[in-house]
Amino acid sequence: MAHQAHAYHMVDPSPWPLTGAVGALLLTSGLAVWFHFHSTILLSLGLILLLLTMYQWWRDIIREGTFQGHHTPPVQKGLRFGMILFITSEVFFFLGFFWAFYHSSLAPTPELGGCWPPTGITTLDPFEVPLLNTAVLLASGVTVTWAHHSIMEGEREQAIHSLTLTILLGFYFTFLQAMEYYEAPFTIADGVYGSTFFVATGFHGLHVIIGSTFLAVCLLRQVQYHFTSGHHFGFEAAAWYWHFVDVVWLFLYISIYWWGS
Amino acid sequence: MTRPRRHVTPVFTRCFRSPALSDRKMAALARLSQALRVPLRSVTRSPLNRDRRQLSAAAGHGHGEHSAKTWKILTFVVALPGVAVCMLNMYLKEQQHSHEQPEFIPYTHLRIRSKRFPWGDGNKSLFHNPHANALPDGYEGHDE
Repeated sequence: MAHQAHAYHMVDPSPWPLTGAVGALLLTSGLAVWFHFHSTILLSLGLILLLLTMYQWWRDIIREGTFQGHHTPPVQKGLRFGMILFITSEVFFFLGFFWAFYHSSLAPTPELGGCWPPTGITTLDPFEVPLLNTAVLLASGVTVTWAHHSIMEGEREQAIHSLTLTILLGFYFTFLQAMEYYEAPFTIADGVYGSTFFVATGFHGLHVIIGSTFLAVCLLRQVQYHFTSGHHFGFEAAAWYWHFVDVVWLFLYISIYWWGS
Repeated sequence: MTRPRRHVTPVFTRCFRSPALSDRKMAALARLSQALRVPLRSVTRSPLNRDRRQLSAAAGHGHGEHSAKTWKILTFVVALPGVAVCMLNMYLKEQQHSHEQPEFIPYTHLRIRSKRFPWGDGNKSLFHNPHANALPDGYEGHDE
């Protein structure tokens, strides 16, 4: 029987990178086809393929790490680097939208009335739902930290409670934001104000949904005893992502909701 | 926290199915990550990534066995009441609101329709609210 003489993980060949790439291609081209030719076939195919890929790829990682023990400390370090780099790339993604917002709002064009907010735009009161949303996300940051310490101290019940609370707060944020979207007196088609507002907050909302899903998966894993007090990187990655989402919201709140109103 | 570094001999390389990285490269990666770890620790200073022994500053003590309790207290004394206060604030403000429609002025820089939306009649946004959102011609009928 061959034993590896190193601590690294030589991953078995896997089809998921390919299916993921094909899915991403179908998703993007499908979106363009939907916009121009009103057909949703490619889009739906791409979405299904991508969802299947994500489910199976991450399921395999859990099998390799939790059940087969391949995630030794050096491997874990690589995973940490990976998550940090990914979150960094997301920071740059949002930076672009903040750039667009400040470009348009610091020097408003004559077409908008030479002012910001543009003429005719009724902005949202930053001290109503947006403030509540801020409190909700900050609270979820506290609860996810409670969850982390609970896991580290082996407090199973507390970890489950705090993680559930975090996810519920995430859902509450999404619900509040959806209501705001419906009640807003302006739409995405209302010039550059509408575009910057809805694209920036919309992508943020998508990330809240992604983060909540990631945390929900962690909750399922915690219930099934996957995490130990010394090894729970999946949870840490979810918590990092959640804090990132929280920080992006704070910037959105200060820039778009408060300064931009 | 130091960990002894092991130099891996390439003797077993032939037994592997074409590895993605040779053993020498992996050993080099280990050295690189060792070198990066010290400065990187200050970058990845998220409280979650900190060494477990240097736990929550709020605890005050050197050891942090009871940090979960600290964060639990913070949750129920600060975080959730904060949310409740904001909810109350919203409820009170909502009562003072007028629910009138904003006046419709057919500005050309708003309600842009250079391309139809890919759903419905192509004229309404995804979260269209007939009461709050006017169409390019004005509000629809006079439905609430």
